[in-house]
Amino acid sequence: MNLSKEQQTELTRIAVLAGQTLHQHGAESRLIEQTTQRLGLALGADNIELSISPDAIVVTTLISGHCVTTTRRCFDRGINMQMVCDVQRICVMAEKKLLDAQEVKKRLQRLKPFKHNRWLVVLMIGFSCASFSHFFDGDTAVYWTTFVASSLAMLLRQELAHRHHNPFVIFASAAFVATTVTSLGVVLEVGEHPQIAMAASVLLLVPGFPLINAVSDMLKGYISMGIARWVFATLLAVSVSIGIVAAMTVTGVSGWAH
Amino acid sequence: MTAFWDTFYLFLLDAWFAWIPAVGFAMVFNVPRKMLIYCALGGAFAHSLRFLLMHFSMPIEWATLIASTSMGFLGLYWSRKHLIPRPVFTVASVIPMIPGSYAFAAMVGLVEINTGGYSLELMQVVMENGLRTLFILTALSFGLALPSILIYRGRPIV
Repeated sequence: MNLSKEQQTELTRIAVLAGQTLHQHGAESRLIEQTTQRLGLALGADNIELSISPDAIVVTTLISGHCVTTTRRCFDRGINMQMVCDVQRICVMAEKKLLDAQEVKKRLQRLKPFKHNRWLVVLMIGFSCASFSHFFDGDTAVYWTTFVASSLAMLLRQELAHRHHNPFVIFASAAFVATTVTSLGVVLEVGEHPQIAMAASVLLLVPGFPLINAVSDMLKGYISMGIARWVFATLLAVSVSIGIVAAMTVTGVSGWAH
Repeated sequence: MTAFWDTFYLFLLDAWFAWIPAVGFAMVFNVPRKMLIYCALGGAFAHSLRFLLMHFSMPIEWATLIASTSMGFLGLYWSRKHLIPRPVFTVASVIPMIPGSYAFAAMVGLVEINTGGYSLELMQVVMENGLRTLFILTALSFGLALPSILIYRGRPIV
């Protein structure tokens, strides 16, 4: 396939758009690299080289000896698996020659992040943390304390995230709210071991996805991406613990580390 | 015989309480609606398998490794079947096994060493919880990554 200079530039833009979308929505590095390369090769490039760093992506396409390079900044848009699925599907369809370059571009630009109903998410997260309290051997009263505390924390997290607050601020304030509510449970002696609710109600704030991505990136050879994700997740956990300690200082209840 | 049924009951109870966090967190990660059922199945399967292994006195790290490896291979099958990237199922499914409270206990311990001064008990809390977090987490991610490390070396899965 012989592509003109303009067509090559267009191809580069399409490939980098796919990579950028995956990066912004929390795909692991190998998936970003493979999908971008496969899409570029499917659209007729001889070779695709890309460099992924924690906040940007650089793509170079090679067609009959000519290189075109482009860079995109990648701001964190929050984890969204539906976007990752859709980009992957477009890539597979392009590989099977079901889509041409124009069609791929149109579809990539049309992608909209899908969000679950927020009240349903609040309800499910409340029950999730309540289930964790069951794993820690809590009784029914503790179960419902955890449910209320973590639902309130999730509600606050959604509200703050909607207003584009800093993630560290969001996590610290949500941990503060959850721990304050469950400390009241300890003060009022709700259930047999109300301290269990304090431990379970903040588990909605565990940065599980970044941590798993960090380790699997490092295992697959993307050490710098892995370190960046690991540091981000650790900082989130530190801000959660600061929220917890602040709430325990205010209410005078200690439930952790004793 | 009653011991068997007791274990079986606890196993089922564990599976029941494990699907809820798997789906809850899958919704936070915006997993497509049709795939939520697989997250529920995976979460229940992985956590109850770990429960069973720990019930037969296997250490938590090794039990986690075996559970997450099985989840990785199950995810491989589903991913090939539905042409959907593997993390969509696997990460949400292992979320119930993430050592969140160990991690926070270690961090809270660190903050309290700063405010209340160094003590051997607090340092013990920090080290034990921190190391447990590290090892469980590594086992978890390593198990999930095993199919692509051992079988699909450098090749895309879908």
